[in-house]
Amino acid sequence: MQQRQALALLAVVLVVAIGLAAWLWPGCPRATSTAPAVELPASVDGWTPRGPTASYDPTTIFDYIDGHAEVYLAYGLRRCLTRRYGGPDGEADIVVDLFELASAADAFGVATYDREGSSVAIGRDALLRHGWLSFWQDAFFVSVLSERETGRSRAAVVAMGRDLANRLPSGGSVPAIVSALPAVGLDPRQVRFLRHSQILNTHLFVDDENLLGLGPSTSAALGRYARDGSQGYLLLVDYPSASLAGSAADAFGKRFALDPTEGIAQVMDRGWFAARARDARLAAVIDAGSQQLAATLLSEALDPRTGGKP
Amino acid sequence: MSHHGDLQGLTRRGWLRAMSTLAVGIGASRCVDGQSVDPGARHYPRQMGRSRVVLIRDRAAVGSSGGVDPAVLRRMLQDAVVTLTGTTTPETAWKTLVRPSDRVGIKSNAWARLPTPVELETAVRDAVIGAGVDTSHVDVDDRGVLQNPVFERATVLINIRPMRTHHWSGLGTCLKNYIMFVPRPSEYHGDACASLGAIWHLPRVEGKTRLNVLVMLTPQFHGVGPHGFSQDFVWTYGGLLVGSDPVAVDATGARIIEAKRREFFGGHRPISPRPHHIQVADTRYGIGVSDPARIDLIRLGWEQGALI
Repeated sequence: MQQRQALALLAVVLVVAIGLAAWLWPGCPRATSTAPAVELPASVDGWTPRGPTASYDPTTIFDYIDGHAEVYLAYGLRRCLTRRYGGPDGEADIVVDLFELASAADAFGVATYDREGSSVAIGRDALLRHGWLSFWQDAFFVSVLSERETGRSRAAVVAMGRDLANRLPSGGSVPAIVSALPAVGLDPRQVRFLRHSQILNTHLFVDDENLLGLGPSTSAALGRYARDGSQGYLLLVDYPSASLAGSAADAFGKRFALDPTEGIAQVMDRGWFAARARDARLAAVIDAGSQQLAATLLSEALDPRTGGKP
Repeated sequence: MSHHGDLQGLTRRGWLRAMSTLAVGIGASRCVDGQSVDPGARHYPRQMGRSRVVLIRDRAAVGSSGGVDPAVLRRMLQDAVVTLTGTTTPETAWKTLVRPSDRVGIKSNAWARLPTPVELETAVRDAVIGAGVDTSHVDVDDRGVLQNPVFERATVLINIRPMRTHHWSGLGTCLKNYIMFVPRPSEYHGDACASLGAIWHLPRVEGKTRLNVLVMLTPQFHGVGPHGFSQDFVWTYGGLLVGSDPVAVDATGARIIEAKRREFFGGHRPISPRPHHIQVADTRYGIGVSDPARIDLIRLGWEQGALI
C-alpha cells in the first residue's frame, strides 16, 4: 500500500515537473497576460481606426517603440495594444497606446516617469500636455497622442481617454512605500516609483553599477525635497529580506564612504549622502544641500515616530 | 595579450576611470604646441584649443511637403566642407578628408520618425567615391555597424545624423550617434548618457572621424509620448552643422534647440534630461570643445530665423 502511494506521489511530482519545464521552455507558447482583453474604441469624435489593433509583447515591443521601450520593460511590460485613428477634415492622426504592466504599482511607476502637464480628471493621475494625454488605471498605463494638436484634436484626445478609462478595470492604489515618503517639503511632481537602476539613474544618477540591487522583487520610491533653503533626494527601497536591505546599505556606505557610525558623509561636488537600513527597508539620502537635511530625512524615513513607516 | 584583450578584463567603471585619466592626458598635451594632438584631427587642426563649425542654411532645402531637395542639400554639403577645410573646391576639400586607400564607414541614423535623409547619405557617399575611394570600401550603416565589414576595417568614419530631443540623453547628437558601436547601448543610458564620450576612445572608433554633420533640416526640439515624437515639435530650419569636432557641432546644435524651445514655450524651458554628455565629452573625455566662446562659428546662407 505504502509502495503504491509512493508511486502515485512520484507520478504527480513528475507530471508537475514536466508541465513546469514545458511552460518554462523558451519555445513553448504561453499567454502574456491573464487579464481580460481590452477592446480599443471603434471611433471617437470623428476619428476612426486606420487599421486593426496591434499587439506587442516584451520580445516584440522594440519593433514598435524605438528608443524608449526600456522604460516599459523596467516596469514588467506584459503587452502593448496600439491603434491609430485617422482624423476628420485634415486633422492629424491620434495614436492610442495601452500598456499592461506587471501590477498597478508598476503602472503607477510608469506614470511617475514623466510628470509634466496639467491634471485632468480621467483614470488615475491623468496629465494633459500639448497633444498628449496619459494616465494609469489598475495595471494599465494609457497614452493618447495627437500627432498635431488643434482645438478639435485636443477635445478628441480627452474624449478618447475617458472612453478608455471606462473600458479598463477600475482600481489600483499608490504603492505603500510612496506614502512612506515624509510629506514636509516633498515636491509631489518629483515623486517616482521604480524597480530598476536605469530608471533611478535617469531621475537621479547614483552609480554606474546597480549598487542597491534594484530589481523586480524590490520597490523603491524617490522624492525630491526642499526645506529651509536646502534641497535633496530621499530614496526608500523595500527588499524581500532585512539581510538584503542591510547589504544594500553596506554597499552604498562603502561606495560613498559614509561614516560607519552615523551613516553620513559629504561627497565632493554633490552634497551630503546618508543611508541606513531598518528591517527590510533601506533609506538613502542623496545630494542633500546640508548635513541637517540629510540627517533629518534619514531619521524621518526610518523612525515611525517622526513620520517613516518601515 | 592584445590591447583589446586587456579591455575585456576591465569593468565598465574601470574603463571609464581609465578614459578619464586618458582625457586628462589629452587635455594636458593639447597645449604643448598650440595644436591638437588628437590623431583623428590631423586633417582639421584645432588651433589653440578652438574648434570650427560651419552652419549652412537654405530655405529651399526642405519643400512645403517636407521632402528634401537633393540638389540643394548636395550643394549645402559641398559648400560647408569647402569652408570647413579652407579649400576652394569640393573635390579638393574631400581629398583632405579621405584618401583613395581609405575604407570609409558613413554612420547614419535610422530612427524611423526622423532618420538621416537618404539624399544626404547619397551625397556623402558620392563625395567619398569622388575623392578616389573604391566603391566597395564605402558603406552607410546604423544598427549594423558592429557586423558591417566596411565598418570593421574602417580607417575613416563620417558621422551624419539629425538633431532631436532624446529620452535618455536629452538630445540625440553626433556624440550619441556612436552608441551603436557598443554591443549593449543601454549600458550608457545612466546619468543621461554622460559617458558617451568614452565610446569615442574605443579602438574601432578612436581617431577615425573626419567629419560630423548634424542635420538641422527639420530638427526636433521637444518630445512627448511613448515614442518621443510629435510633428508639432519639429520645424523647418533648413540647416546643416558641419565640423570635425563632434562636441563643438553638438554644443552649437544644442544652443539652437534651446533657443527654439524658448521661442516656442515662451520662456526658459530646459531640455530634459539635461544633455550634459556634450560638456562631459569635453571636460572628462577630451573629445572636443563645448564652450561657445572657443567655437568659431561660420555662417553661410539663409539667415532669417537662425536663432543663434
